Amino acid sequence: MKKVLAQILVLTLCISLFAGFGAVSASADNTLNLYTWAEMFDPDVLAEFEAETGITINYTNFDYDETMLAKLESTKGGDYDLVIADDYIIETVIAEGLAQKLDLSKIPNFGNINPIYQGQFYDPTDEYTAPYGAGVQTIVYDPSYVETEVTGYEDLWNEEFEDNLAVIANYRVIIGMALKVLGYSYNTNDLDELEEAAQLLYKLAPNIRLIKDDNLQDDLISGEVSAAVMYTSQVTMAKLANPELAVEYPKEGIGFGIMGMFIPSAAPNADAAHQFIDFILRPEISARCFEYLGYYCTTKPADDLINEEYREFLVLPTEFKAEDMEMIGNIGEEAAAKQEEIWIEFRNLCGA
Amino acid sequence: MKPKRRGWENAVFLAPLYLFTLVFLIGPFVYMLVLSFMTRAETWGVVQEFTLRNYARILEPLYYNTLIESLKLALLVTVLVSLLGYPFGYFMAKLPPKRRALLLLLVMIPFWTSSLMRLYGWIIIFRANGLLDKLLMALHLIRKPLKMLYTYPAVAVGMVYALLPFMMLSVYSSVEKMDWTLVEAARDLGASPAKAFLTVTLKLTMPGLMTGVILTFVPSMGLFFVADILGGNKIVLLGSVIQEQLMKVHDWPFAAALSVIMMAMTSILILLYRRITGAKEMEGMI
Repeated sequence: MKKVLAQILVLTLCISLFAGFGAVSASADNTLNLYTWAEMFDPDVLAEFEAETGITINYTNFDYDETMLAKLESTKGGDYDLVIADDYIIETVIAEGLAQKLDLSKIPNFGNINPIYQGQFYDPTDEYTAPYGAGVQTIVYDPSYVETEVTGYEDLWNEEFEDNLAVIANYRVIIGMALKVLGYSYNTNDLDELEEAAQLLYKLAPNIRLIKDDNLQDDLISGEVSAAVMYTSQVTMAKLANPELAVEYPKEGIGFGIMGMFIPSAAPNADAAHQFIDFILRPEISARCFEYLGYYCTTKPADDLINEEYREFLVLPTEFKAEDMEMIGNIGEEAAAKQEEIWIEFRNLCGA
Repeated sequence: MKPKRRGWENAVFLAPLYLFTLVFLIGPFVYMLVLSFMTRAETWGVVQEFTLRNYARILEPLYYNTLIESLKLALLVTVLVSLLGYPFGYFMAKLPPKRRALLLLLVMIPFWTSSLMRLYGWIIIFRANGLLDKLLMALHLIRKPLKMLYTYPAVAVGMVYALLPFMMLSVYSSVEKMDWTLVEAARDLGASPAKAFLTVTLKLTMPGLMTGVILTFVPSMGLFFVADILGGNKIVLLGSVIQEQLMKVHDWPFAAALSVIMMAMTSILILLYRRITGAKEMEGMI
């Protein structure tokens, strides 16, 4: 028995070895080198694309946007055919000439993109990118523990939340809460406004129980905290685990982030990349992608196709207006340094 | 008779060692040192412009206080680790060989799993209505959950737990090597057990204790993942600042300057160690 098992193992190893060679040799003719974070696509969707087009997908990952940028800089926009990354880094990529303009004649489905996610700061004329999912930061709380009627960030300063609030570790978002309560922009470069926001934020410190990015929803589900400010994908997971949780879009307005697909300037197989973008923008494919991803659907006709169970988390509410959103973009060096310092001081106060 | 090795043969045999030191130790250090005097580029990267600003920034109250807080926590952890680890290492060395080997194995086994995994174990113990709360409530010591997770004590416990084995093992190796006849002599000459311990045993095992202190104190300023996971990111260590400057803020020169300061502090500690113990090598390290 053991021997058979060993033989099977050796056989699989050999096959996988050849499979590896297969991928390498295929790169000469028709491979799509896809470069993004892990788990961005349902494997079935990728397999469908491969079966339909005969293009092999070579999926490589990065952890941080900055790693991707460094890689593109070192390959001078080559090696990869399609990259998916965050908005702010795409602004830098385009500015450095590392992305190429999309050939819209090859993307008939381009019109399916929800216009609310277009014309943003990183690509104002939509020449380089197609959005792939968007996220906002919302307030989620457990109504069985919370008496305050939460309508906006302002309410989080309420004494009721003492030592009971969890927030994500994105300092632009958290300092942004204070900026928004004061009616300022997320992207202000005015140091006085930032100082005013800092003083307000420091008053929030007694309420903060924890600050973290990964799996923040767990602490809300387990009852470690009664309210949290978190990302869309976490909200989706939290709601699926506990449907009683209340989700509030802060009345002060929200910041949102968009992930975009772009083709590097020297992509070896730009044709395959165009084909892939068009494939993903098909409504039925998009719907499946966003159900898997847990971010807001950026393909308009896909909204109605998303499984009802998830729809309320993946589609922006209809009453929602573009004016209420502000994207978090790159800010000046002085303002950035000020924000870093506010962030450290804030955490020191939270731990004190 | 051993044949004498010729000069070039020596060079050939030693070359890999020198190369290794050059490429993996001196190279990165020089790179870091040079980087720490450079200017940060507007968005991403480094501009080759000499500046002392990175070092001046460390003296700003914000970073200076963080440094002091970091040192305080490191000191607390080191004291706790010494108080727990010294007796453990001491008694372990005095056990019969068979049981000693077993105990040594038990100390080592947790090292085989990822330290991250072991920290998650502490979350299960500390979290609201977790094991600790349940135990204390069953004993009627508390009525409400303690909410230990994401607090300063939780971070301290996590660090003590992570660093304790280093102290145990270095004290152990020191005590094991000790010449017990010296203690007997002290006792024969009329010293009380306490006096014999303080004047003979403690002095002879000082190298082990000091090695343990260095192995505890230095990492406890940098174990940012413990502060992140058990402290909910609220305890800012010098290590956290370095990590954030690198990964989030992209101010590499400032991160390098902070690292240089941290290395300088480590070097001072090692110098102190050599002063106190008179030893050239660290006990238990080799």
